[in-house]
Parts: sequence; C-alpha cells; structure tokens
Amino acid sequence: MTQNLLSVQDLEISFRTAAGEVQVVRDLSFELAQGEVLGIVGESGCGKSITALSLLGLVPNPPGRVSKGRILLEGEDIVTASERRLRQIRGNDISMVFQEPMTSLNPVYSVGEQIAETARAHFNSSRSEAWERAIEMLQLVGIPSPERRAHEFPHQLSGGMRQRVMIAIALVCEPKVLIADEPTTALDVTVQAQIFDLFRDLQHKIGAAIILITHDIGVVAQMTDRVIVMYAGRKIEEGPVSAFITDPRHPYTRGLVNCIPRLSLDPSDDPEPLFEIPGVVPSPSDLSLPRCAFAPRCRNAFALCLEKSPPLLPVAEGRAAACWLETEKPG
Amino acid sequence: MNTQVPATALCVSDLVVHFPLSDGKVVHAVDGISFEVPVGTAFGLVGESGSGKTTAALACARLVEATSGTVQLGDIDITQATGNALREARRDIQVVFQDPFSSLNPRERAGSIVRRPLDLMRIGTPAERERRVDDLFATVGLRPEQKTLFPHQFSGGQRQRIGIARALATNPRLIVCDEPVSALDVAIQAQILNLLARLKRELGLSYLFISHDLAVVQHLCERIAVMYLGQIVEIGSRQEIFRKPMHPYTMALISAVPSTDMDTADTRIRVKGDPPSPISLPPGCRFAGRCPYAVPRCSESLPELVTRDGSHSVACFRADEPELQIKR
Repeated sequence: MTQNLLSVQDLEISFRTAAGEVQVVRDLSFELAQGEVLGIVGESGCGKSITALSLLGLVPNPPGRVSKGRILLEGEDIVTASERRLRQIRGNDISMVFQEPMTSLNPVYSVGEQIAETARAHFNSSRSEAWERAIEMLQLVGIPSPERRAHEFPHQLSGGMRQRVMIAIALVCEPKVLIADEPTTALDVTVQAQIFDLFRDLQHKIGAAIILITHDIGVVAQMTDRVIVMYAGRKIEEGPVSAFITDPRHPYTRGLVNCIPRLSLDPSDDPEPLFEIPGVVPSPSDLSLPRCAFAPRCRNAFALCLEKSPPLLPVAEGRAAACWLETEKPG
Repeated sequence: MNTQVPATALCVSDLVVHFPLSDGKVVHAVDGISFEVPVGTAFGLVGESGSGKTTAALACARLVEATSGTVQLGDIDITQATGNALREARRDIQVVFQDPFSSLNPRERAGSIVRRPLDLMRIGTPAERERRVDDLFATVGLRPEQKTLFPHQFSGGQRQRIGIARALATNPRLIVCDEPVSALDVAIQAQILNLLARLKRELGLSYLFISHDLAVVQHLCERIAVMYLGQIVEIGSRQEIFRKPMHPYTMALISAVPSTDMDTADTRIRVKGDPPSPISLPPGCRFAGRCPYAVPRCSESLPELVTRDGSHSVACFRADEPELQIKR
C-alpha cells in the first residue's frame, strides 16, 4: 500500500444563509494515495464541487467556511494554513482543471503568457525561461505548432484546445494532486476521448494522483480506480470502481448506475423504459430531520430510514455504504 | 397508433442553410441534407458541436430561414409558407429547447406559459383552454395546482416538463427536441426520456430529436442520421447504425463514448484534431483531415450519400473495403 498523499478527515463545510447556517458537506472523510485516480460522483448540489474547492482552500468566505475537520496534504493541514502558504500549495502541490474552459481562461492574455505566469509565480524563473516552459507544456498536452499557438488568445482556440491549455496550466508545476471538476462536459465526445487519453498519459509521465469529479458513469468506469458517491453532502458509498459498476450497494448508487441509457452495439427494436430515481435532490436547508436524506426518494425505505440517518459502515473488503438495508433488515 | 400507410410527418429535401458573414464569406451550417420522419417515430440527428444539427432542426420549424431546399410538413412547404398558412403549419410543429432555465419566461406563471400557444392560435374558448392546460399538466406529470407558480419555483426536470407541456398544447404532429435532456442531471434525464417515450407511444407523436449523446439517441430514435460539418454522412435504422456503422466518423463517435463495460478499453478508433471551420471547407470529404482511413482520393472529391443496403446510406468512398469492416 502506498502512503496516503491526501487525507480528508471529518470535513464539514457550512454556508451562512438567510435561514441560518446550513451544512453543505458533512462527515466527509477519504484518503488519496499517490498515483491513484479517485472519482467523486453525484448529482448537482451533492457537495462534490465545493469539496474540491475546499482542498485548495478556495471555499468562498464569507458566506462559506470549513466548519469542522482537517484536510491533510502529506501531514500538513490545509484548513488552518495561512493564505501565503496556500498560495504556494495551489498550483505547486494541488492544482485544478475547471469545468468550463471558455470562462476559466483570461481572454486578454495569450495562452502562452497564462501558462508562463504560473511557472514564474512558483519557480521564480525569468520571463524567457517561463515562456520556454509554456511552449514545452503546450507540446506535452498535444497542441500542434506550440510556438505559434502560445501567442494566440483563448478565443482563437477550439474548446478542446482551450481545455488542453487549462490542463497545461494545471500541470506546469508538476503537482502531486490534480483535481478535475467535470473537465470534459463542455466538450464533444471525440475530443473528450482525446483529453482522457492525455490524462492517462500524463499520469504515467508525471505520476500525479487525480481526483475526477463527474456525473458520467461511463467516464468513471474508464478513468478511475476508486469511487466515492455523494448524496446531499455526505459520502454514502465508497469502493473500487468495478464493484461500483457491477454491484452497487446503496439504492442511490444503484439508481445512478442504472438510470443512464447504455450504448448497445446490438440495440433492440423496443428499448425498455429507463430506471427512474423519483423526485429531486433535497436542498441543504431541508436536511434538518434526522432521517436518511435519500429516504423520500428510495423505493426500499422502511421505518428505520425515516427515524435515523444510517452511518457509513464497511460492507465488504475496501467498500462502505451508508444504508440501513445493509445492516438492519426491515421489520 | 395504427395507421394504414406509414405516413410521413416531415420530409426534408436538400435543405441548405448558409449564414453570410460581413466580409463576404459564408458559414455553411447546413449543406444539403434530406431525410424523412415517418408518423409516430423519432428521428435522431446526431453530431458534434458545429455539425449543423441544431440549425437544421430550427430551419425545420422555420426559426431560421432556409437558404434553399424544402421542408414538407403535411402538404405545406414550411420554408415558403407565409402569414396564416405559416401560423397554421406551426400548430403541427412545436419545439422543446435545450435549456429549461432560459426557454421559459421567468415573469410568467407556469399555467400561462403552457396556455400561451392556445391563446396565440386562438384555439378553444378561455374555459376550454384552462381545462386543456390542466390536462397537459397531468400528461407531463405535474399537478394542476402548480399552474400558479413561476418557473424559478420548479426544479430543472419540472421546468423541462413545462416546456414539453407547452409544446404539446396545440396537438402537434411533430415535436423538434433540441438536446432536451443535456442540461439535466443524470437521474432527471431518465425521467424526461421516459416521459418522451411514453408520449410518443400514447399520442402517436413524431420527434425530430437532436442530441450529441449517442446512448440517448439510440434509446429513443428508430432512425438516426449522423451529421458532420453540415452534411449527413450516414443514415439508417437504429440497428443498422449501431450494429454495422459504415462511416469512419460514426465508428469514431461510437467508440469515443466512455463505456461502463471496463474491458473494451482499447479497440477504439481515435480521430485526431478538431473539425475544420464551416467557413473555409476543405474540397474533398469534410472528415478526411481527421480520418484514420483517408486516402488521397478523399481530399480531392466529396463522396455522395449512397444507399448500401436496406435503408442504410453512407457517404464514404471506402465504405465497402475490408479495412473498414469492423471486427466484433
């Protein structure tokens, strides 16, 4: 077992609202080993993106704050780190590729300058060294004629190229952890396939651990080693990716895996209706009751589910789920 | 719905939509496409961004003007209709848009949004319209009491249901669905896709369904056309397209979909680069620059859409060659 690079312990993130403080992430703990690809899955509003931001010390404060818990990067707590120290960690140790390459790049600087800026901030390198480095990075992420492209502005590049530039910026300091928040949702499938090939390739070359946030079960299956499923701010299931796909334990996970239409190479004339998870994700302020947050949408809910929220318990080697059906039988 | 003859809900022939630019250049958004949508079926147009699928769909509802070609809806050519004839034709063709957040007026109540097409077309008395709105709410799985709420009081999935109810209001023959589920969460997508499938079955509706998601199109559509840079490169039944794709672009699209089956990783066809710009098109096959099977001939002349077997047509010079036969 490799040493754990990142360890999140009992994380709670709260936001102040007109109705008082609400918790958008609760009791979240997970570990990330060197070179591992961890998937975080869930519907919008389940707390996955804010968790990613917290790993970089970027929870917008106010109104948000990390109200409990620790985030240890090689033993150092990010929650209590100073802003000055955080600036060193961001980019250098942990970096992030955002969802929307159109809005995450600065439209008035050339892409070369934007990559070089990161290199200069962290390595104190000269302008010309940093520029060289930017061109090297563009080459690494597979942009043709990087010397010319480095002078171009974001609007001159296609969506796939822009996302490559984002990845180049994220990787310029060879971070230990790369967080990718829905990195390909804005891209076409053929370009998405290219970006994921690139991720795999770079992971071999640089050896970074990757946290991949997505709602696409196919992407999870192809890219990750281990998966965390989040619902209403909590981790409700965790395990190796193969178990997640073939034998999901939590009814929500089962719903997520089964509700997507799967591409078949031998489609039938009359496809079965898709599995539906009824209802919608509860808003964080609706979670004051002690019940299981998924109970109102769950087909298998029984009395206990409405009384107490189930704890996350081991269900098999390396797997855990938070569901009373795993431990208590409906009576 | 049982019809004696398989009637056609929509017949598009040689549709061209060009957008002139100020510098005299032209965006070739849709460049001569033809297809038919039989009554009671869903026809899927798939392709990546910039392939012209949305422009083609909007031209079918006359929300953009066609440069040439015809769109036959019943006995009316919707590209030429004017005044009352156009208004009448639009009863029969309605649109469900991609983004349920921006396609509903935020200051209008849900009931009034759904009633609006009836008001505009002057269908029924006010009391009949109200009853129809109640029915429509029930049909799409909303409660009639929710009529008085505003769009922001609904979730994304419910908003898309409002959009669908509005499209159903005039009892159209055909609904153009432009990426109706791509802005929704995965769990909600299933609800909306099941709703669309049920409406098709129960009301005998036809769909022109636009999507970039092959799995979604496969699930809902009987016939599928694959578009690339304004042209249809392959068209066929659901089985023909997925059992035996013949165009290298279709093959690449299918193999680029991340599969939940974890063993299939590397029998893929990879394409390089991005599509060329629809302003300065290459002379030959538009896919040649990215195609792993391209030969010199491909960049010299444009292959035509040729019927290979049954209702399956493909625009590729090499479609018959053994190198392109996929191995399963």
